[in-house]
Amino acid sequence: MLLRLLRRTSVFLASLVVSSIAVFGFMAVLPGDPARVALGVDASASAVRRLRAEFGLDRPLVNQYASWVHGLVTFHLGDSYVSRAAIGPQIADRIQVTLWLAVTAMVIAVVIAVPVGTVMAMRHRRLSGLLLSGLSQVGVAVPAFLAGILLITLFAVRLRWLPANGWTPPAANPRMFFEQLVLPAFSLGVVQAAVLTRYVRSAVLDVLREDYLRTARAKGLRPAQALVRHGLRNAAIPVVTMLALQLATLLVGAVVVERVFVIPGLGSLLLDSVANRDLIVVQDVVMILVVAVLVVNFAVDLLYVAIDPRLRTGTS
Amino acid sequence: MTSNMRKSAVALATVAVAFLAACQAGSSSGNGTASPGTADASLAVGLTAEPASLDFTKNDGAAIPQALLYNVNETLVKVDQSGRVVPALAKSWDVSSDRTTYTFHLVQGAKFSDGKPFTADDAKFSIERVKSDWTISLKSAMDTVDTVSVTNPTTLVVKLRHPSNDWLYRMTTRIGAMFSRTGVGNLATKPIGTGPYLFSKWVRGDSITLTRNDRYWGHEPYFKTIALKYFKDPTAENNALLSGTIDVNGAVQSPDSLGQFENNPKYQVIEGTTNGEVVLSFNNGSGPLKNRKLRQAVKYGIDHKALLDTCWAGKGKLIGGMVPPTDPWYEDLTGLYPHDPAKARQLLKESGEAGRTLRLRLPTLPYATACGQVVKSQLDQLGFKVKIDQLEFPAAWLSTVFTNADYDMSIVAHVEPRDMPAVFGDPKYYTRYGKPALRTLLQKADEGTPDQQVTYMKQAARMLAEDAAADWLFVLPNLIVADKDVTGLPKNAISESFDLTQLGRR
Amino acid sequence: MTAMDAGPGVELASAAIGAPRRGRGRNASLVVGAVIVGLLIVMALLSFVWTPHDPTLVDASARLRNPSAEYWFGTDKFGRDVFSQIMVGSQTALFVGVAAVGVAALVGVPLGIVAGMGPRWVGEALMRFNDLLLAFPALLLAIMFAAVYGGSTLVAMIAIGIASIPNFARLVRSGTLQVMRTEYVLAARAAGRHPFGIGLRHVLPNVSGLVVVQASVGFAIAVLAEAALSFLGFGTPPPTPTWGRMLQSSQELLWEAPRLAVFPGVAIAVAVLGFNMLGDGLRDYLDPKLEDR
Repeated sequence: MLLRLLRRTSVFLASLVVSSIAVFGFMAVLPGDPARVALGVDASASAVRRLRAEFGLDRPLVNQYASWVHGLVTFHLGDSYVSRAAIGPQIADRIQVTLWLAVTAMVIAVVIAVPVGTVMAMRHRRLSGLLLSGLSQVGVAVPAFLAGILLITLFAVRLRWLPANGWTPPAANPRMFFEQLVLPAFSLGVVQAAVLTRYVRSAVLDVLREDYLRTARAKGLRPAQALVRHGLRNAAIPVVTMLALQLATLLVGAVVVERVFVIPGLGSLLLDSVANRDLIVVQDVVMILVVAVLVVNFAVDLLYVAIDPRLRTGTS
Repeated sequence: MTSNMRKSAVALATVAVAFLAACQAGSSSGNGTASPGTADASLAVGLTAEPASLDFTKNDGAAIPQALLYNVNETLVKVDQSGRVVPALAKSWDVSSDRTTYTFHLVQGAKFSDGKPFTADDAKFSIERVKSDWTISLKSAMDTVDTVSVTNPTTLVVKLRHPSNDWLYRMTTRIGAMFSRTGVGNLATKPIGTGPYLFSKWVRGDSITLTRNDRYWGHEPYFKTIALKYFKDPTAENNALLSGTIDVNGAVQSPDSLGQFENNPKYQVIEGTTNGEVVLSFNNGSGPLKNRKLRQAVKYGIDHKALLDTCWAGKGKLIGGMVPPTDPWYEDLTGLYPHDPAKARQLLKESGEAGRTLRLRLPTLPYATACGQVVKSQLDQLGFKVKIDQLEFPAAWLSTVFTNADYDMSIVAHVEPRDMPAVFGDPKYYTRYGKPALRTLLQKADEGTPDQQVTYMKQAARMLAEDAAADWLFVLPNLIVADKDVTGLPKNAISESFDLTQLGRR
Repeated sequence: MTAMDAGPGVELASAAIGAPRRGRGRNASLVVGAVIVGLLIVMALLSFVWTPHDPTLVDASARLRNPSAEYWFGTDKFGRDVFSQIMVGSQTALFVGVAAVGVAALVGVPLGIVAGMGPRWVGEALMRFNDLLLAFPALLLAIMFAAVYGGSTLVAMIAIGIASIPNFARLVRSGTLQVMRTEYVLAARAAGRHPFGIGLRHVLPNVSGLVVVQASVGFAIAVLAEAALSFLGFGTPPPTPTWGRMLQSSQELLWEAPRLAVFPGVAIAVAVLGFNMLGDGLRDYLDPKLEDR
């Protein structure tokens, strides 16, 4: 098991290195000189040269890569070429915003998906189960931004129950924070719930077929009791895996939803930086999102090793 | 001559949005007298196109002066709603008889937000710094300045190399902003000025917050804090107003959506005019549109009325030339190229370029995307071959179209005030025009008497239009929607600033 | 947005051949999915030769018409026929789908087979590479590409295609591992057959079902991702109609003409639904044991 752990860890670290090279290399081939872009089109050549020197853009790529990675690891990300603002604190702020959104959406997804998926599984031959199943199919087919537009139209524009967009930090005004979080979190969460529901359903169906559950029912427990007492824990493993994988995609999916709801999260930062050719920020944000995905995948790997005895021995 | 050739920073169409403001008291739509206001009244104003930096000495883009000019950074002189130059940090000024020496008499008691007093030495520093430290192309407006001298702390003398009508006007723009000799260290994130508002906070991607300057030398503004909230998406901005997140939509970017506010007693809709000429620009320097006949064919081929009705809901005004209705030398030039499909077809044939594909390279801005599709549809019907490329604004559009002039046609709103010389007077500007005859006229206009200026500018505008240097689609309307009780909103947007100082609440 | 496909494939791959019982529900899924997808394809093909109106023709006199006999879905603010735009929009959706699934399958399937047949370390290494790709979701890739090359149909196709490779590779690998354990493959190997021949003659035909199922699901993902990209402005440029951009530009008129959002929204949802149902239906058809899940 230790060996396996070591191997997993080294694969994880190698992935980090490879992906950082990929991101850096990709951004390095961008046409256009970031210093010129930052200074505007009519800046003098000497001003551009000065800025290139200031940001170290005149050094060999290898050195630039090394100092970029060093900055990432120590989270001293330097200043933006365009706004001259420190990037680190900015990204830290944005991460919080996006995390709030993603985690709330995830909670909403779980709260909806677990009971609904379970019911779908237990009634999978009945009309109600089929209907729910159909509904989840429709849910999977609706993109989050469409859900967002619909929710805004209904709850913000027509009914005026909730603000249409915007963001307030929770510490500044908890009530407003909550009101503004509801719609975007639901846009993301409901769609994720639809996806997750289908996994819950199939996981529960698997469990329902297991012998121990038949035994429990033979002892006189009702199906629901049997499931709650014996089944849910076993059904949880694949669902938790899926959940973790979804959290990563959710972070990225938040990009579009942040745009719809004018939320200053990582996604908005990324899109704005692309538009402003604030290349160093694009590079940092992309890398952070990639690292987030890798970390979550790694965590899932470790979880498997911890939970599943078969996996511990390494026979896959 | 060179002074005329400022390459306007372009306008950065960003801003196409133009809604600038500039009202002096009395000329605004409300009662205009912003009284000292409640102790902690606040206002949230929605705008589009967030600045990329706060340093307008080094970064192009109209969004920066829009937020800071007149509000945080004051100028010696400013423009009022009718386009006149009026006092600001200079309470008066004298002009020598040869019109090359300006003596400014400065106000007393003005202080920078870092506590330092504002004196003639700061003014001299600020003017000279344009030449030495600024990097944006607009700085060339200062080239005409010969010497700056300080007579006493409230008197400043500026000598020009030659008479220039334009120079004093430029002093009302960002070029004329006054900085503290000790306060320019960190303009990108911490602007320091003498204005009625202090820069307080910038949440990137969201908002800029300004707070009232309690030590302001002049009339204190009504609101204690004003948040400028930035929206990429026009719809999100409308929704924010409907749900009360903002009180003013200072730049309506989706005129089709105005209906929901016009019929709602909770809101007021202000419709005025701006400096923003929406230009279907031609590459006069290379490619098929070097051919005058083809340029004329395009102009005859476009139905401007239908275009305005479809892509900008009929708001705005058809101009036919590079002069907005608020400038003294405005003339309606729409009659020069009336919609005439037959003539367009004929000229297209005569030009010998009938089979050529015209690349219409659009910035990703609402008006450009919308109007570009109309232009393509109208021209395609007449046998033109138009291909649309969308370029991410600002960066991709700036480098491809603006810097490298790698385009045949584009659409962008030139929102700089009085920007004809900038856009067409310089052969290196992206329109690749700058014909000597035009430059001569522009120079005469700049150096002549104010009456001569009007005459020559009219001639220049007509010459440009007749030569089909571009097609002027329309001038952007100033569209503002606000809560009913907000006062002091500018009807016209003809300066670089969104003047917040006159705003109040009934 | 891209996660929804990882599971069903794994389920399928791990399923043994089981009781041949077929449920009505799943057959319905196949039929409904096939009908929707079929209609979609017919609509896209038809739109090459015929639409009720020219979808890009601007007509100032016909702005914002309500649905009528002349304009079935009404017109947008340019006076363009919405129904014609929806029809032509299906071209882009399907085109991006075909190309993205093509890219993904062309790379992913061989990758999966090699990973399944080759020595253990090769399989491991390829799968780690696969995991790495998973860290670059389609949207992120497309935004990066668009930052370099600007938004275009090609960028959307390639980005979505690359991001979909892991789905195919993972699935095909587990399918391959199963096939490799079957007796006829063991026999073939014992007979000294060249691995390439085994891959071609035994493995590929046996995993082709999986690939077809994954292709259908991959289509659904591609349609969703393309819609998101053109919604953000990184997809096919105007005036070519795309569902995502129609949705994006409908936003300013949500008050006056909410139908402008409804039609493209429904088009996206129905297309995705169709491909997902077709995928589900095919899976059951090809592997009846799963009928009941």
